[in-house]
Amino acid sequence: MTRTRKIVRRVLRGRGTGRRVLAGPAVVLALGVAAFAFMALTGGAARGADATVSTSPQDIAAGEQLYAAHCQSCHGVNGVGGTNGSPQLITAGAAAADFYISTGRMPLNNPHDQALRHHSYFDAAQTRQLVAYINALPQINHVAATGPGIPTVAPLCTSPGTPSGCVNLSDGERYFSLNCAQCHQAAGSGGMLSKGNVIPSLHNASLTQVAEAVRVGPMPMPVFGSGQLSNQQVSAIAQYVQYLHNPTNAGGLGISHFGPIAEGFVGIVLGFGILLLASRLIGNRG
Amino acid sequence: MSTTEERLAAQKRLKYEKAGLDAIDDRLGSSGFLQKALDKIFPDHWSFMVGEIAMYCFVVLLITGVYLALYYVPSASDIVYHPTPGHGYMPLAGQHMSEAYKSVLDITFNVRAGLIMRQMHHWAAVVFMAAIAFHLCRIFFTGAFRRPRETNWVIGLLLLLSVMLEGFSGYSLPDDLLSGTGLRVVFSIVESIPFIGSWLAFDLWGSAYPGSALIPRLFVVHEFLFPLAILGLLTVHLMIIWRQKHTDFPGPGKTETNIRGSRLWPQYAIKSGALLMVVSGVLAALGGLFQINPIWLYGPYNPFTVSAGAQPDWYVGWLDGSVRLWPHWEFRSFGHEIANPFFPGILVPGIVFTLMFAWPQIDRWIYKDHAAHNLLDRPRDKPFRTAVGVGALAFFTDLTLASGTDILGNDLHIPFERLIEILQYGVFVAPLVAGAIAYKACQALQRTGTHPIMKPVGGVLIRTADGAYHTLGDDHGGHDGNGHANGHDGNGHAVDGHAVDGHAVDGHAVDGDGSAHNPEEDITEPAVGGAGPGDA
Repeated sequence: MTRTRKIVRRVLRGRGTGRRVLAGPAVVLALGVAAFAFMALTGGAARGADATVSTSPQDIAAGEQLYAAHCQSCHGVNGVGGTNGSPQLITAGAAAADFYISTGRMPLNNPHDQALRHHSYFDAAQTRQLVAYINALPQINHVAATGPGIPTVAPLCTSPGTPSGCVNLSDGERYFSLNCAQCHQAAGSGGMLSKGNVIPSLHNASLTQVAEAVRVGPMPMPVFGSGQLSNQQVSAIAQYVQYLHNPTNAGGLGISHFGPIAEGFVGIVLGFGILLLASRLIGNRG
Repeated sequence: MSTTEERLAAQKRLKYEKAGLDAIDDRLGSSGFLQKALDKIFPDHWSFMVGEIAMYCFVVLLITGVYLALYYVPSASDIVYHPTPGHGYMPLAGQHMSEAYKSVLDITFNVRAGLIMRQMHHWAAVVFMAAIAFHLCRIFFTGAFRRPRETNWVIGLLLLLSVMLEGFSGYSLPDDLLSGTGLRVVFSIVESIPFIGSWLAFDLWGSAYPGSALIPRLFVVHEFLFPLAILGLLTVHLMIIWRQKHTDFPGPGKTETNIRGSRLWPQYAIKSGALLMVVSGVLAALGGLFQINPIWLYGPYNPFTVSAGAQPDWYVGWLDGSVRLWPHWEFRSFGHEIANPFFPGILVPGIVFTLMFAWPQIDRWIYKDHAAHNLLDRPRDKPFRTAVGVGALAFFTDLTLASGTDILGNDLHIPFERLIEILQYGVFVAPLVAGAIAYKACQALQRTGTHPIMKPVGGVLIRTADGAYHTLGDDHGGHDGNGHANGHDGNGHAVDGHAVDGHAVDGHAVDGDGSAHNPEEDITEPAVGGAGPGDA
């Protein structure tokens, strides 16, 4: 046990992530969480529960139980990683834990499969406990925390009683088409990557899950750090994705927003099909 | 045949027609031509109306297009979008975009009836091409392109090309993310043409990509050039049909020198008018019920952005698929590289269209048949030609599927690379397999002598009131049953021999009055230049 911890510590230090580097972001994160807690208490912010990480010893202990039962066989004792290719979780951070667990991507049967959205295996309380435990892993292993915390998504400027720091959909559309539409499709319908990797549709992703995915970069997706996208920009993207769940659907039934292939199918089979039947009915009459 | 009332009504109608014709004749001296025109005979087979579906789609396109042109701004100038709630699309508020894109947003959200006009226009284009493709298939599989109609085959293909390019230019006008992506692909394909490519691309776009000259130019192309080309070609297409007269399937009383069917006035005009109403009704319903090309979700075009799942409209899909399937080969000779997109983007469609244009000649070589034909082949009687056509359709389908690889792969859970491989082999395998099946099916159908879907084999089984069964022979109606005994040899041209004379007058062409009109219009000389109505 202690040997493993030593190895892990050495490995992590080898990466050059010292405490000094992290002090700044940690303070910012702490301030952010504090500010969020303040806003949540005063009724300013949009959402509560899933944006905070529990640090209570009971939750961590319960999380450890769950971890031992459902995660440890791959990710190893105290998240040191597995021999079957499963990554270490010590520095994964709360955002990754919350994203993978709340979207049902974990637990995964085969670590070489792409994790895709499923019904969440754990309920809200269990998710909170597991996230609390994984959030506490750096402390348990005596290393510095590096993984991103659960991001807070700023509300839309159009929502009533909006505090300062709100975001608008137009910015969201711009950053989405710049950074996300290449893979996730302009309307968030998803797509395809090489080697059998799937690009998921975003139509079920919650605000927080989108922001988490941007920061964490799950599986084939790249990580977008705060140098690339500010928290405001991530919030705008998350809000735009939320809008895409039910976008303005002028002009009738949206054909899954899949574009011209689906439209061609409807035009030929339905439109031209009816016309063929009509000419069949009309045409054979002498 | 008809009751007294029917006969009286017909006489009354004839009187009015005559009065009308006389009134026109007094002024224009044209009753000779009009009389001939109104008496023109159109065959009564439903598949002959599909070309008209295409024509009526064009009418709907012209009408909706004029409305859209009133509001469309053909300009690539940068502008900031300032919608107000309820009058515009808020999620794009404050964004930079081209005036063209903004005007399409305005058409969609501000202009009265703008969105349904836009959607009808787009659906009409989709259905237009479907109807043209079907019409092309009918002409091909029934041998209607044979002498004397080779010219009209060529004109029809020119129409197909014009409509394709017209459709693509329209797809590109809104300047949204999807259309910009399509233009980017086309720019690269034009650039890949050896020697002249880069100059040609630069000339067409007026600058390096994307530039600001293309949108106004595309507007001229979409608004004037191709519509006029289509209109002109369509006129010639119809004039040649008028002069050469229709083809028809072999059947009772049908010979190489006559046409049986409905007269233009009144039967066929009513049929055709009904079809016009159905076409515009279906297009309006599609435009009102089904969303097409939601440009507001794609956003304005920026050369540095792209969306997954970007495809062209279905009729350009096969070219997109050809680009997607082409291997990453490079050719270099004499110090010049022939850029990769040239092969799938220029060469493949070039070969396909050359073969299509040359098909009447190829067909003549294959069947050593130089005679003029006014009676059609049935597809089963020309198994090889049918096999070629089915193979071509399989080829086209394979390439079209390839343009939807990203959607197909996701839906079928096939890895992208595997899907591309399957479709690459499919380019060769699918036409051969489909062609072979079609060939065998033709031979089998020749043996059975029955229509595959229309008629029960062996006639109709009748059960009488007291429970006895007996079979009615299949000699009632239709032209399917006969003409088979000697159809096996694959060259049943002397179709006159097929006609059963005893059935010659079956009431098709004779309407109520039966007095002044000829029930059958004779084709005196089927060859081009010899025929018919003189005073056009």
